[in-house]
Amino acid sequence: MKKIFLFLTFIISASLNAGAQIYMAKEADISFFSASLIENIEAHNTACKPVMNTATQEILFKVPITSFKFSSALMQEHFNENYMESDKFSFSSFAGKIQEKIDFTKDGQYEATATGMLLMHGVSKQVTATGTVTVKGSQITIKSVFKIRLADFDIKVPSLYIHNIAEEVEIRVDATLIPFVKS
Amino acid sequence: MKLKFLFSILLLSCCIQLQAQDLWNLVDSVQRQEKEFTNATFKTTRLVNQHTLETVGRRTLDLRISHRFGSLNSGSINAWGIDGPVNIRLALEYSPDGRFMFGIGRTSMEKMVDGFLKFRLLRQATNGGSPLSITLFTSAYRIALKDNNASRLGYDKYKPESNRWSYAYEIMIGRKFSPAFSFQVAPWFVHYNLVEKITDKNDAYGLACVTRLKFTKRMAITFEYAYRINEYSKTKYYDSMGIGWEIETGGHVFQVHFVNSLGLVENQFLTHTDTKWNNAGIRLGFNVSRVFTL
Repeated sequence: MKKIFLFLTFIISASLNAGAQIYMAKEADISFFSASLIENIEAHNTACKPVMNTATQEILFKVPITSFKFSSALMQEHFNENYMESDKFSFSSFAGKIQEKIDFTKDGQYEATATGMLLMHGVSKQVTATGTVTVKGSQITIKSVFKIRLADFDIKVPSLYIHNIAEEVEIRVDATLIPFVKS
Repeated sequence: MKLKFLFSILLLSCCIQLQAQDLWNLVDSVQRQEKEFTNATFKTTRLVNQHTLETVGRRTLDLRISHRFGSLNSGSINAWGIDGPVNIRLALEYSPDGRFMFGIGRTSMEKMVDGFLKFRLLRQATNGGSPLSITLFTSAYRIALKDNNASRLGYDKYKPESNRWSYAYEIMIGRKFSPAFSFQVAPWFVHYNLVEKITDKNDAYGLACVTRLKFTKRMAITFEYAYRINEYSKTKYYDSMGIGWEIETGGHVFQVHFVNSLGLVENQFLTHTDTKWNNAGIRLGFNVSRVFTL
């Protein structure tokens, strides 16, 4: 009995390792959008390489803050200097898990919910993002749009700019993942 | 039995734990820390009078208004300098790519028109990038004054046209040491095609320093000093020194300062500052910068 149990444990652990399918982004675009009466603010980040473990359905994004590109150089400077304080908090991350069981061997589009910790501006908070996971051959596409409140992450907007910056900012994730091969 | 069971659980959870950690390691190994240029070493392209190593952002137009009042020691009759004489410079400055910029300006003192070119040769960067920034600067100035003595003396000192022109060159070397503290030194050289007196030299050179200390996210104290090395004139001139307060409000940057020079462009304040700090020969001044993204 003992032996069988131990053996079983080893088998499970081993299979967990072997079956751990790691996927990594071929390309990813993390963007955010703030809509207000006065101006719309949008920035894109393509420097992030999200990874996913299809066995455990864990997913991880690590986004370097200074890689967000704005159409206006001044906005980018203010974003880094005044709001995100990127010299102190150099990256944001989302470490979460896709809640629904997804069969990654079967092509198709799946509605999915990811729950996990979003770290931003030095503040960690649990968030839930909804979106779709599309499996096509060996390629997985993740799309999600969710909203966060700036106040939840201790990002202060001076009263002078309350009308320029939305209280809730939309985060958009669009990533295409392929199996990761160690080189 | 129980022990074995616990051990198995531990092993299993370790295994899973390891995988979560693996994802982080994997991301860190693949997502190399990219070289990022340090931004906002200084808030704008000027500190008080002097240029900073900054250029304006890509496709950004900077409208600048600089103003200097008369000196404080002109007394109450002159409202401590508010009445003047004043000096105003209006300028439009533009950068197509955020690295190279040019601008033109008009200064009321000496009816001066200036045009400059500025290029960020080397930019401070993180993750193995350059520890310093180096910016090259060159400027040309044209005096539009009329020679009042022309008819009396029988010749016009502004003829030929080249007599109206002077030039300045600077190499700015600086570093943002911390988010709050930036420092820059700049060897400078000014050349005049025409000088006032026979004993004056056409060339002057020296070393300038500018520094900024931020005390909130949007406010800073600024200081600049321009040291003159060679004796280019028998007339008594002084080093230009300014202390200021800088605040940025979105698209605007306001700079309010006390400075002993009335001049606003390099060929005026670097070499021809004729009032000194010691006897309150300083004046109130301000710069306003408004940027437009085109």
